[in-house]
Amino acid sequence: MTQLVVKGIGKTYADGTEALRGVDIHVGTGEIVAILGGSGCGKTTLLRLIAGLDRASTGTIAVDGVALNGTHAAISAVFQEPRLLPWLTTEANIAFGGRRLAAAERQARAASLLARVGLAGHGARWPRELSGGQQQRIAIARALIGHPGVLLLDEPFSALDPFTRTSLHDLLLDLWRELRPTVVMVTHDIEEAVVLADRIVVMRPHPGRVQETLPVDLPRPRDRLAPAFDLTKRNVLRAINRSLAEAPSGHGAAAGGGVSPWV
Amino acid sequence: MRRGAWVVGLIIPAGLAIVWEIAVRAGLAPGRLMPPPSRLFQTAWALARSGELQTHVVATMARVLLGFAIGAAAGTLLGMLNGASAWAMRLLDPSIQALRAIPSIAWVPLFILWLGIFETSKLALIALGVFFPVYLGILSAIRSVDRKLIEVGRVFGLSRTGIALRITWPAVMPTWIASLRTGLGLGFMFVVAAELMGASEGLGYLLLDGQQMGRADSILVAMIIFAVLGKISDGVLVALSRPVLRWQDTNRIRL
Repeated sequence: MTQLVVKGIGKTYADGTEALRGVDIHVGTGEIVAILGGSGCGKTTLLRLIAGLDRASTGTIAVDGVALNGTHAAISAVFQEPRLLPWLTTEANIAFGGRRLAAAERQARAASLLARVGLAGHGARWPRELSGGQQQRIAIARALIGHPGVLLLDEPFSALDPFTRTSLHDLLLDLWRELRPTVVMVTHDIEEAVVLADRIVVMRPHPGRVQETLPVDLPRPRDRLAPAFDLTKRNVLRAINRSLAEAPSGHGAAAGGGVSPWV
Repeated sequence: MRRGAWVVGLIIPAGLAIVWEIAVRAGLAPGRLMPPPSRLFQTAWALARSGELQTHVVATMARVLLGFAIGAAAGTLLGMLNGASAWAMRLLDPSIQALRAIPSIAWVPLFILWLGIFETSKLALIALGVFFPVYLGILSAIRSVDRKLIEVGRVFGLSRTGIALRITWPAVMPTWIASLRTGLGLGFMFVVAAELMGASEGLGYLLLDGQQMGRADSILVAMIIFAVLGKISDGVLVALSRPVLRWQDTNRIRL
């Protein structure tokens, strides 16, 4: 049960590129927040700062009121690529995420999570023997084994086909209902954001800033075909178009002559 | 590959051996400088019966293995040090690269002057030959470890040592073992050089003795035994490394 507060975060790289400026995001306990934006809006940078993989230039990130300094036991992550360790079996990869647990609990939880993500019986296989979707299932299990308070997801389904992606959305929601981690997910897929998130933070580029925050007031489980679902998607799309309209002129050209890449 | 298809590879060597045997027996060729297979078997058998062959094999293998152990250990340790510390890299690597530019055999006179003509100078030469491929192999492997996997270690709370042991080391393992195999091959190359420069036993001595006595058969026997020993040593190294490389694609192991 963990609250995440991102306050006044800015990031300027050594070469002078300003990736983020004054980002404030408040994520409540057990909430799912999707950060939506095109390339160059700093959404992955923001996630790396929360994960403790990079240092912010300004601002603070706090978990339950304690400011973070580097990586943190309460925060775990699933990356865009599965990033499994190729020399560990799938079950050992899951166990790898639970290094802070006692050995017996780690083994038991790895086995049960393996079954939970639908790969019972595949525990002794090598990562290379699994499909991309299966590997990402293992990565999700690895991220959840250590009872994280905050789960970070960096476009984890973007490389998968729509069928696999949809089944992984369902899996993620099932696990979230069961374990209730606070989730921050970065995505460029509007539908994915509307399916999963309680709130959607739309970002705008150059430098990355929060454009606006939209609540998703749809009951779960969400029906992708319901009119209300479409309405929410359209609201998000409008917010994105506003973010592009207000972006500096140089960016319009980069995004394809001012035409929104989303339509 | 179909089972048994490797037999095709035997056609040329076995065919040549048979043709040569027939040619010499029929008096079509003298066979003094290039003895037929039957002569080689006789020579090898005689050497083995007298115990001379075993003495040579043991002497050569002891030199190769000891030199290899020293060179591989030094190469691995220095490679790991320079891979782990940018400061050590800046300090040590330029000197090592400069030494590498000297052909290893060029050290022979100096080693003899410093270490004498007996075992020490031979071991030094072999260890030096083994050192460079192992050092370069492990260093480049450490420097090319996937940064993304290191980040996984950081996110899941590994310390610097933990990352070195649980991520860098297994990631480096395949390249390290490949460099050990290269090193072992060079170890055999340099044991010949070391034994040719003066030895009273060893397969290199057998080569030199055969040259001086005009005995092509013992030269060829020594060459064949070198090939067999090299192949066996490499096979042992591969077999030892197989359990830790099981996670790799099998076709990469069979190279």
